[in-house]
Amino acid sequence: MRQDDILSGQLLDEVALSLDELARACAVDPQWIVQRVEAGVLSGTAQSRTFYFASASLVRARRLINIERNFDANLELAALVVDLMEEVERLKSAVNSI
Amino acid sequence: MEFKDYYQTLGVAKTATADEIKQAYRKLARKYHPDVSKEQNAEERMKQVNEANEVLSDPEKRATYDQLGNRYQGGQEFQPPPDWGGASGFSGAGAAGAGDFSDFFADLFGQSGRGGARSYKMRGEDHHARLMVELRDAYEETIRSLTLSIPETDEQGRTAMKQHTLKVRIPKGVKPGQHIRLSGNGSPGSGGGAAGDLYLEVHFKPDPQYRVDGRDVYEIVGVTPWECALGATIEVPTPTGKVQLKVPAGSQTGHKLRLKERGIPGNTSGTPAGDLFIVLKVELPPADTDKARKLYETMAQELAFDPRQKMGA
Repeated sequence: MRQDDILSGQLLDEVALSLDELARACAVDPQWIVQRVEAGVLSGTAQSRTFYFASASLVRARRLINIERNFDANLELAALVVDLMEEVERLKSAVNSI
Repeated sequence: MEFKDYYQTLGVAKTATADEIKQAYRKLARKYHPDVSKEQNAEERMKQVNEANEVLSDPEKRATYDQLGNRYQGGQEFQPPPDWGGASGFSGAGAAGAGDFSDFFADLFGQSGRGGARSYKMRGEDHHARLMVELRDAYEETIRSLTLSIPETDEQGRTAMKQHTLKVRIPKGVKPGQHIRLSGNGSPGSGGGAAGDLYLEVHFKPDPQYRVDGRDVYEIVGVTPWECALGATIEVPTPTGKVQLKVPAGSQTGHKLRLKERGIPGNTSGTPAGDLFIVLKVELPPADTDKARKLYETMAQELAFDPRQKMGA
């Protein structure tokens, strides 16, 4: 195996996503992200007049898009569904620890 | 390549209205949603349903598909006509990403940024994939192979799905849910635009011995009643090798002993390492010999012990 065959990536959280990077990774307009941050559905860290997002926000944003698009759901309903998905994940993990 | 019957995938008639297609899609999207579905191959079925919807919900794509569909049936061997050029103007898939669609789809509709179809500069799409790793991979930097279906465009501007195997370095300190971004490994750009990125979402394979919560790791370790009652030093296997662990006298099942910073290591940005929690589980020796039975009988007679006392039994 040659050394240059091996791909080295950036570990997110170590390198947080900028607003534009998150929008691009989700194939949406940055304004879509900003609206959801303002509505309290996505959380980002504000730094020098832009937002930065952690790894978990990428999963959450992609789930929101899917729910909104697949079911023509409004923002709040999609957020509620995604909140419930995250709660199910947390509970499953708790069940596994019993 | 097989011709795909998108109408059959969504369970609608070829004469279905846009509303009927939308209804059928939503019903299936709920049924096969990978986060909640208990159906087998839910993820694969969801991809097929998404692909069918991508085509049938778009009047232009649907018309193009119908143009060919009149000549084919689902499962029939399919070769796009040699002069097939009508698809070159299509933009790529929506939120799902072109990489999530089949060879058949790619051949019919191409992907965004398809070579020759666009002359303006455009960045390639980002792709997403899951990467399954072992807990041990988080303790030491490792290399893992990953096979992905990626759309590729040839000189004639035709797109086909190609299997690519990537060797990826898993950085030490990676934790579940984190992403590794491989810059420039998404879709190629067009008109001199940069390639998209590939995001790998890290998942840990279920491990019968360990449970992971963030960077903390939990390990259930069996102990004898006398080790718990009297205290003992026991040898415990951990992800970083065997350790000697002091079990305090009076320990019980469920007690957690913390081994500081022996969980998943911090990554290079200086994040602190997680802890390793040893969860004790008292295991009883079987009363399968006269000697063992005698010992249990002696305990029953000599020890005034009633675990149900507080329950009012």
